[in-house]
Amino acid sequence: MNDLAVIKIQSDPKYLSVIRTVTAKVGELYGLSESGIKDVKLAVDEACSNVIKHTYRGDPHQPIVVKYRMTKKGFEVLIEDTGVKVQPESIEGRNLDEVRPGGLGVHLIKRAFDIFQFDQRKRKGNRLRLIRFRK
Amino acid sequence: MNVEVRDYQGMKVMALSGEIDMYSSPALREEMMGLLDQRVTPLLIDFRGVSYIDSSGIATFVEGLKRMMSYGGRLKLIGLLEEVREIFSFSKLDQVFEIYGSFEDALRR
Repeated sequence: MNDLAVIKIQSDPKYLSVIRTVTAKVGELYGLSESGIKDVKLAVDEACSNVIKHTYRGDPHQPIVVKYRMTKKGFEVLIEDTGVKVQPESIEGRNLDEVRPGGLGVHLIKRAFDIFQFDQRKRKGNRLRLIRFRK
Repeated sequence: MNVEVRDYQGMKVMALSGEIDMYSSPALREEMMGLLDQRVTPLLIDFRGVSYIDSSGIATFVEGLKRMMSYGGRLKLIGLLEEVREIFSFSKLDQVFEIYGSFEDALRR
């Protein structure tokens, strides 16, 4: 079995702090730098918040599964849900020169991870694949 | 996250502590909007106890700032820890918000 850690939460925002704690700890175990750990912790929090807000539309009783593993490419995080299909082309952060609420999360995710990709093979729901290359 | 509203030299201060995320930001928003309904100005936000902020927290402050600008109010953010300040900087919002290292600095300007 690959070196793997998995956590499952329900889509209630109160569990985001658990996701952050686990992400930081796994990042530490996998040897990420201190700044790298901060960045991936925030990015995974943002990605799970997006699932709660957009995919489950605020329903706090749905499952979110987060899988972490270290591969040859780097630190990989898979975030799975069973909600409505995300249209990847519709995901766009705001222009950072524009001052308005919202649209920042996707920038924070892409800052931490080199690959941001939805796995189209997943039939029901979404699987977001994030990879931070080995530096 | 904990929010405490207090008076400091005749001004309103919101002292925050803990982590601001999608779970805690609605309570923060409610507290702040309650003050803005009264057209409070300036409003000082004491960030010294905040160890983490995500985009929902940032969005709450952007909304508050816009609301205050509509009535000529001033929102002053004080004592941001490096991890928090860095998010404002990354999002270029450090050029939009009034950010101060200490209460003394915030009161001088």
